[in-house]
Amino acid sequence: MNSVLEVSNLKKRYGDLLAVDGVSFNVTRGEVFGILGPNGAGKTTTLEMIETLRPIDSGCVLLDGLDVQIEPQKVKRLIGVQLQASSFFDKLKLTELLSLFGEMYGRQVEVLALLDEVELRDKAKSYVVQLSGGQKQRFSIAAALVNDPVILFLDEPTTGLDPQARRHLWGVIRRIRSEGKTIVITTHYMEEAEELCDRVAIMDSGKIIANAPPQELIRQLLAKGFKKERVERLANLEDVFLDLTGHSLRED
Amino acid sequence: MRLKAKLMAASFKMFIRQREAIIWTILLPLFMVFLFSFVTFDGIGHVSVGIVNHSQDTTLVGLLRPIQALKISKGQEEQELALLKKGDRALVLVIPASFQPTGQDSLTLYLNAEKPQETQTGKLILQRALDELVFRQNHLPRHAIRTELVNSRSLTYIDFLLPGILAMSIMQSGVFGVAFGFVVLKKRGILRRLLVTPIKTSDFIIAQVSTRLLVLMTQVLILIGVGVLFFHLHFIGSLFNMIIVGLLGGTVFLSIGFALSGISKSEDQVAPLANLITLPMLMLSGVFFDRSNLPGFAHVITDFFPLTYLANGLRSIAIEGATLTDVFPQLLGLAVWSVITLFIAIKAFRWE
Repeated sequence: MNSVLEVSNLKKRYGDLLAVDGVSFNVTRGEVFGILGPNGAGKTTTLEMIETLRPIDSGCVLLDGLDVQIEPQKVKRLIGVQLQASSFFDKLKLTELLSLFGEMYGRQVEVLALLDEVELRDKAKSYVVQLSGGQKQRFSIAAALVNDPVILFLDEPTTGLDPQARRHLWGVIRRIRSEGKTIVITTHYMEEAEELCDRVAIMDSGKIIANAPPQELIRQLLAKGFKKERVERLANLEDVFLDLTGHSLRED
Repeated sequence: MRLKAKLMAASFKMFIRQREAIIWTILLPLFMVFLFSFVTFDGIGHVSVGIVNHSQDTTLVGLLRPIQALKISKGQEEQELALLKKGDRALVLVIPASFQPTGQDSLTLYLNAEKPQETQTGKLILQRALDELVFRQNHLPRHAIRTELVNSRSLTYIDFLLPGILAMSIMQSGVFGVAFGFVVLKKRGILRRLLVTPIKTSDFIIAQVSTRLLVLMTQVLILIGVGVLFFHLHFIGSLFNMIIVGLLGGTVFLSIGFALSGISKSEDQVAPLANLITLPMLMLSGVFFDRSNLPGFAHVITDFFPLTYLANGLRSIAIEGATLTDVFPQLLGLAVWSVITLFIAIKAFRWE
């Protein structure tokens, strides 16, 4: 197996609460790996331990063969991170921010190409405060790509976005995947996981309770004789909304 | 090195684009000077002289009394010398018991080493009064000299105020600028985002500090320039010395700002703390008014305020032309404060 990330028996305790309780999983190069779960399941804490942001109580994280606890500085050079609530300096333009972030890795970034990647070239001279929610998240992904990371971490990138902005972001993530980038994404939207992820781990109360490709999980469920109680509707309100406001990638 | 330069350039750009900050650091102090330029305070710029008269003669004192530039108090030798040491007198003149207007007795004049400009002026005035006395007794033709010397540089309130305002704005932009700036960066997760990049903490802090010190220097130069051009500031000191003292003061107040941002979680917590620290200094460090009017007990604490050192240092340089050696006590005071506050800042600083 060509694993780019190996997490074994990771634990984190806050007082009486075991926020992360023996989490293990591997991420293969080139795949989109989803961590699914309700709020408070321990997704973000898990991610932050992998990203060197939070001390690890016990367990081990190997990123591209490097132990995160032993060589955090080297790991930081390899990863791209979009934090759940990260924001950027107010008074720098998008292009200035990206080249500054590039400098932090000792790189001169092709700023406009990077903005193209997330479809923000026309906002190049704007400030982050002038962006909409979806644009902010897309910019945040661009900032996470400045060092051409081995692996990209996206923590709930679509939370709080409207359906159009969410679909727009999915498009961006799919394109990044098509370029061969490994992506780890957390979400609490099932449809998002189904749409984007090659494999998902479902987390609850600090534990991973399932880990397989989405279709595989659905197949397993059906094999147990599961049947939905009501007939599936052919369309839902979200489809109506999208139909009325325009399915295409309208600028959000 | 390249990263440091880029970080500095970026933080400078951010500062320039922050209009509120520019108003706060440059225009507000200027506006205060402008407002105060309409105010005249008697007694400021006067030389305070203590006179101890052991003789029966009153003509000398009578001659000195009407001179407006002098603020004369009479008293016992011990008291007056104590007041001189405290800084309440620029000079103390002791008239010996044997003194007569026609005599040859020597008078003793104690000079306050902290106030070279005032003592110099005072000495000239006293000398002239004595000459006058001799001329009167001997009815000799008088040479019209020296009067110009005495009046050559009459200090106004602006001369007193502007260096004080300079010290004040260094304190305000250091403490408030840094404390608020960093708490916002911290609270909004901007620092946290930097933490996942390989950037070194020291690089980031150095960039921030040097940008702000650069702004402080610009502030010093602009205020002095405007003072000289528009407010008849009698600036006779060296700009270099002003900047040295200003930078040392800036270091103290930036460190206080960093320490405050370290221990506070939000802007709401920073504001009262910052005010708690700056307000007493603003009132009692001699920014607006001469500290010699403060009661004795107040001196015990306020003498050691960093803003007192900064304001006195800048003022001596600006209007008395003091050298760095002359302001050594102030430099030492500020140096001790920078060590203390830097230590606290490093201990208290937090990324998240």
